[in-house]
Amino acid sequence: MSTATLDRKSIRNSVGPGPAFHRVLNSEFIKFRTLMSTVILLACTALVMVGFAALGAWGTGSFAQQVASDPEAAAAVAAQGGDLAVSIPTSGIVFAQLILGSLGVLLMSSEFTTGMARSTFAAVPKRMSPFLAKLIVVMVSAFVLTAVSTYIAGLVALPILGNYDLKLDLASSQSVKLLLVNSIYVAAVAAIGMALGTIVRNSAGGIMSLVGLFFVAPIAFQLIPGDFFKEASKYLPGNTISPLTAVEHVPETLEVWQAALVLGAWVVVPVALAMVLLKKRDV
Amino acid sequence: MIEAKGLTKVYGEKTAVGGVSFTVQAGRVTGFLGPNGAGKSTTMRMIMGLDAPTSGSVTVNGQPFAQHKAPLREIGALLDAKAVHTSRTAYNHLLAMAATHSIPKSRVREVIEMTGLGDVAKKKVKGFSLGMGQRLGIAAALLGDPQTIILDEPVNGLDPEGVVWVRNLVKYLASEGRTVFLSSHLMSEMALTADHLIVIGRGRIIADAPIAEIITGKGNARTRVRTDQPERLMQLLAGTGVSVEVHERELLEVSGLDPRGIARTALDNQVMVYELTPLQASLEEAYMELTKDEVEYHSHITAGTPVPAQAGGK
Repeated sequence: MSTATLDRKSIRNSVGPGPAFHRVLNSEFIKFRTLMSTVILLACTALVMVGFAALGAWGTGSFAQQVASDPEAAAAVAAQGGDLAVSIPTSGIVFAQLILGSLGVLLMSSEFTTGMARSTFAAVPKRMSPFLAKLIVVMVSAFVLTAVSTYIAGLVALPILGNYDLKLDLASSQSVKLLLVNSIYVAAVAAIGMALGTIVRNSAGGIMSLVGLFFVAPIAFQLIPGDFFKEASKYLPGNTISPLTAVEHVPETLEVWQAALVLGAWVVVPVALAMVLLKKRDV
Repeated sequence: MIEAKGLTKVYGEKTAVGGVSFTVQAGRVTGFLGPNGAGKSTTMRMIMGLDAPTSGSVTVNGQPFAQHKAPLREIGALLDAKAVHTSRTAYNHLLAMAATHSIPKSRVREVIEMTGLGDVAKKKVKGFSLGMGQRLGIAAALLGDPQTIILDEPVNGLDPEGVVWVRNLVKYLASEGRTVFLSSHLMSEMALTADHLIVIGRGRIIADAPIAEIITGKGNARTRVRTDQPERLMQLLAGTGVSVEVHERELLEVSGLDPRGIARTALDNQVMVYELTPLQASLEEAYMELTKDEVEYHSHITAGTPVPAQAGGK
């Protein structure tokens, strides 16, 4: 308590390491894992992924059992039985993207709503560095969490499917592709969320914009009469995932490369806008 | 050392800070005094590069804050006791800040002990009192062992023991040769803490002088003089401790000599003076005068209309 305990090693004038990028990255990772709310959201995501996969496996299995009595339907199911099962581990992806996208919003908006941003940008005045560090932390954690929970979801679904004599090969190229593409997709959604959080600087506003973009817009675009909105609907970020994960190209949808470009643009444009605004505005 | 030159911040139509220039020297405690809303916090945020000045510039130890290679080691700031994510513990908050500059955990523990947060360091900041929040902010400011320390209203919400602690801490830091710049809206607190005072009101610097001068009011008594022979009067008044500023063609502002002395000199030398007005006798008065206009909520005790006493029960 007394001032005499103050470290008296003379006045070091800017001697010692500064905020190099790897240090800022480490700082952002510490900030990420020391918030209980982050940990809870991550756990919820894993739980939702595993839970929906289990439900999906059960539902698919009982459906397969029911149609078994009908030889025609059984033949149809048998023909694509593997394909039915392969998407089971990623059944919960819609909710995972919502939770992790919101997490992306919160991690940045909370900096501004709590005032933490003043500490962050006083320690590292070159603002792009903490922004990019946070973006990496958000995207990598969203990717890793989605990938790991998809795999665990697959492991949980296996014995359930086995009960109904359905097979699922988690190492098949289609399984691996679904795991990777969905994980990249969720990382992209988290990045969009973080950009929105930076732009609006408000948790509720950021999450609402995210929900609007991913859940409301696709429905609204379908309801508005006219071909324009039907066509435009394909270019919404939330509608890029089905062409990206389709086994074969479905007519009237985007090609894989087109969908990848559209999703990429949906990440790059808001992130770039967020960076410009972060640089220009007062904290 | 902090140097501001013509620092200006305009929000829409409101000028928060209007072209202030000042220098904060190392080795002494410089107080930044002004009523709430005078532009203290805005000025401090501009020093820290958080708000961009509308015009003008400010440097810390010779360069703009953002240009420093290791900002936390150069300048530590308490700008707002709530510049913390309140769901994080005090220790983790400091740890995350320290990580940006590879400041070791031992230093984090050191500043926690130094600020008396040892018992609550592992608790969430959410439950902190205002005083504990201030201590955490001061701990964060000291983290990088910086040469320059900026504290915005550090004694707000502190208990008397904490107030004395801050007072001793800043004096000690200045005695080590550091630059210490702290703001307050309390003249009394500044009188006990600061060596030098910069007074700001409505976004402008009103005074920039050693504390002793401001408390005694000496050297601050200025007199407005109008004469048709300004050059001649300036020469006559020139002397030790007397300074004369020319404001308009026939208008001088004299400090260091009282109106009687000025009149005597003018009379002795047959110079006609047609105005002699004493200006603000002391800064304390000037400050109080200014604060009176600036405070948002005045307290009034309304006499009369006593609450009618209820006789008996219902």
